[in-house]
Amino acid sequence: MYEFLADHALYTVLLIVLICWAGIFFYLWRLDRKVARLEKDLRQ
Amino acid sequence: MNTALKIVLGCWLGLVICAALLFPVVPAPQSWNEFPVIPGLGEKARILFFHVPMSWVTVVAFLTSMVFSIRYLRSKETADDLKAVASAGLGLLFCVLATITGSVWAKFNWGSFWNWDPRETSIIVLLLIYGAYFALRSAIPSDEKRAALSAVYAVIAGVTVPFFIFIVPRIIGSLHPEPIVNAEGKVHMNGSMLAVFLSSLAGFTMLFVWMLNIKIRVLRLAHHHSKEGD
Repeated sequence: MYEFLADHALYTVLLIVLICWAGIFFYLWRLDRKVARLEKDLRQ
Repeated sequence: MNTALKIVLGCWLGLVICAALLFPVVPAPQSWNEFPVIPGLGEKARILFFHVPMSWVTVVAFLTSMVFSIRYLRSKETADDLKAVASAGLGLLFCVLATITGSVWAKFNWGSFWNWDPRETSIIVLLLIYGAYFALRSAIPSDEKRAALSAVYAVIAGVTVPFFIFIVPRIIGSLHPEPIVNAEGKVHMNGSMLAVFLSSLAGFTMLFVWMLNIKIRVLRLAHHHSKEGD
């Protein structure tokens, strides 16, 4: 495992960056939906 | 921003990340998926697909804040003040991210995290200017006075942004690489590298627009809530 990570450092970086981006994307997605729900409640 | 556009943005930046990190850097690129070696950068050139778009979004955000501040000074509409502060906040966030990514790159290329290079100094000054913008806002209790004073401040601060980002580092000698905008007027990238770079710029700009939209709506809700409480 350690050998694989040492030999393929770029793949490890890619995996971490993709996980970070997926986390940021879904956080923003959920936040957007929650704000939309609050705006709907406010209008009613 | 509609759902389809958000999904496109998610996939777009995902693909940009994969291309930016997986395409090999070779001395003489032959295929469409190979990047050329940028002198003095080598594999470390991959930072430009993330660091430069962050700096770009910083400039866009601070200039957007200036535009909404001018609009506030003309209209006195609270909505314009909220848009200006939302944009300045995101500009500060991306400025911090650009500083951190630049600093990590400096550690590997120049040997230390901080070297007081003109680029580093000008970005710190910019961070201080916009840090002071938020300090100013938090120091004034009256809504109208706070909005008016910070709008004037944001206009003056916005004028300094192109100066600190584009002019100062070129007046004073800097070690910062310039593969795109340089004295020779030549782009040190091949077609595929430029395509990934421009895709990253477009993706980060779209991400900024989405984040700005959410932030303005959150601030509007908070403003409405505080008015109801009064």
